[in-house]
Amino acid sequence: MLETVKLTKRFNGQVAVNELNLLVKPGELFALLGPNGAGKTTTINLLLGFLAPDAGEARVNGASVAADPIAARRHIAYIPEQVMLYPRFSGVENLDYFSTLGGRRHTREELVTLLKRAGLPAEAADRRVGTYSKGMRQKVGIALALATEAKALLLDEPTSGLDPAASHEFSLLLRKLAGQGVAILMATHDLFRAREDATRIGILVDGKLAGEYATNDIKHMDLEKLYLKHLRA
Amino acid sequence: MISAIARKEFLDVWRDGRFRIAAAVVVVLLGVALLLAWQQVQRARAERAAAAALERENWLNQGEKNSHSAGHYGVYVFKPLAPLAVFDRGLEPFVGSTVFLEAHRQNQAAFLPAQDATAMRRFGELTAATGLQLLAPLLVVLLTFGALAGERERGTLRQVLSLGVRPRDLVLGKAIGLGVALAVLLVPVALFGAVALANLPEGDAGGSWLRFAWLGGAYALYLAAILAVCLAVSAVASTARTALATLLVCWAANAVLAPRLASDFAQRVLPTPKLAEFETAMHKAVQEGLDGHSPRQQQLQEFAQQTLKKHGKTRIEELPFNFNGLVMLESERLAGEVFDHHFAKLWDRLEAQDRIVTWTGLVAPLLGLRAASMALAGTDFTQHRHFSVAAEQHRRDFVRVLNEEMMNNTAGGHHGGVAGRSLWEKLPAFRYDPPPPAHALRAAAPGLMVLFLWAAGAWTALLLVAPRLKPN
Repeated sequence: MLETVKLTKRFNGQVAVNELNLLVKPGELFALLGPNGAGKTTTINLLLGFLAPDAGEARVNGASVAADPIAARRHIAYIPEQVMLYPRFSGVENLDYFSTLGGRRHTREELVTLLKRAGLPAEAADRRVGTYSKGMRQKVGIALALATEAKALLLDEPTSGLDPAASHEFSLLLRKLAGQGVAILMATHDLFRAREDATRIGILVDGKLAGEYATNDIKHMDLEKLYLKHLRA
Repeated sequence: MISAIARKEFLDVWRDGRFRIAAAVVVVLLGVALLLAWQQVQRARAERAAAAALERENWLNQGEKNSHSAGHYGVYVFKPLAPLAVFDRGLEPFVGSTVFLEAHRQNQAAFLPAQDATAMRRFGELTAATGLQLLAPLLVVLLTFGALAGERERGTLRQVLSLGVRPRDLVLGKAIGLGVALAVLLVPVALFGAVALANLPEGDAGGSWLRFAWLGGAYALYLAAILAVCLAVSAVASTARTALATLLVCWAANAVLAPRLASDFAQRVLPTPKLAEFETAMHKAVQEGLDGHSPRQQQLQEFAQQTLKKHGKTRIEELPFNFNGLVMLESERLAGEVFDHHFAKLWDRLEAQDRIVTWTGLVAPLLGLRAASMALAGTDFTQHRHFSVAAEQHRRDFVRVLNEEMMNNTAGGHHGGVAGRSLWEKLPAFRYDPPPPAHALRAAAPGLMVLFLWAAGAWTALLLVAPRLKPN
């Protein structure tokens, strides 16, 4: 579903993503670990078509992103580190607007249900999102993924700054989406959440995939050691 | 999708308290400007009508005198204020409202309203036209500077584009939403203007409603161009603050700098003579002929010889009419040629200056709009010229009748016999018919073309910039 083939991106001669090969199949949650500047966000931008690759190819649902980024984005839901919404609109209005832009129209009842499924308290749905916490905004992001019935989900450090309870709740929603066949690529620093939620983990160093592991095969302690080992290598 | 974006944009703007305050200020200012102008135009028209009636009474009751003296007694004629001066006073404050018609002289309109104004006029006059020309673009700037740059900064643009929205659709949707928000403010002002026009006596004179419709089109083109420019700047600016600063500089250049620079430029390229120089040159041409080699006395002597020959006489006294009357007629004809030549040259020069200023509008659209707006409102120079020509034609008709009376009334010797009310009544009161809408449209055409080019160019630029819209 989400695939990169020898994907390469340079900024002013500096390599940000270096011949990266990735494949995230439907129902998989792939956690992309790596330090700051490793190329995680650049990879997501390349998959979204916000950046053009210097070499190689990003594919979504088998089609080249560079050839038709608009069509590629139609299959994707994207949740950044901070889901940004329109503060003068309520949660329902934001979801209505974004899901309409994503090509899906829903009734008000459906939208409220989607927000509930994403874990947003019922009383918050009609409140202006200017009053929302970060966790609540992230839930609207999840609701948007549900509303657009995206086949793939790109997450860029989605739990950063969330308290443990909100982070846990968010993880449960992700697992549920993966269980429904959504391909999820999550860039994160959070080794614990990666080990808990992902089906596979990739460690990105200097734009290159330094290691790739099935989470069933490694324990928490091992993951930290592996991560540090790849960084020092 | 475009309609969803437009709807969201409209609601977002409408819910913004800052916009509501700014919009209320602009609408109230425009409304007050219209109301005051309506009162002012009504008062001025009533004053001029009353003055014209009084002047007619004075003319009819001037008593008995010879017709030549009546020619010097003269009459004042008053320029009726165009109904759409309610909206745009144009040059009205700076050109005279009254012309004194007398024998031998073509006078320029006098009594400029600006001469009676206080020093506050230096700060400009608030009319609905200046409000729409200067304040409405400022409102558009405040409305649009963050439309794309602000979304980029906040991160919502990234969110929107990640959903597969075509940047062009996004930009078009925003333009429509913001355009509707602007229309919601300005349509009531236009309706208020229509009500003011409808409630003005003879408000429909000179095809006012057709002109009003064209004015609406001209201002819509102007604001559409400004909207597109603002969105294009917002699309390419890295931050909302950069977009705002850029747009404010553009606004100041368009609204403050361009009109002054363009006028100075036009005066430098096509200078007009000072009033004293103009009067001196004309007086000299009257005395010496247009070619400078045909002195008036010599021309009149030749004319006397031709007349005597034509009538088979050797002495003027033998002619069957008062020769002085005929001389006056010939003298007026010769002077008329001089006046026509000099005034046409001056007026052509002033119109050429206006054309330079209007076409400079290709750099600053306000100049194109101002020209079109004044022309359509009937307050531009071409329509002042139309009035001046009509007043001069009336003067010539009036002087001709008096001179013919002098020529045919042989009883009183040199200046003819005494005439009275029956002759004064033969001379109709001055009645001015404003030019038809076609005249106004011809005068407005260059300005409208400038606005059309601006709107077409700005929207093309916006649509070219849109696909390059970057989320960060």
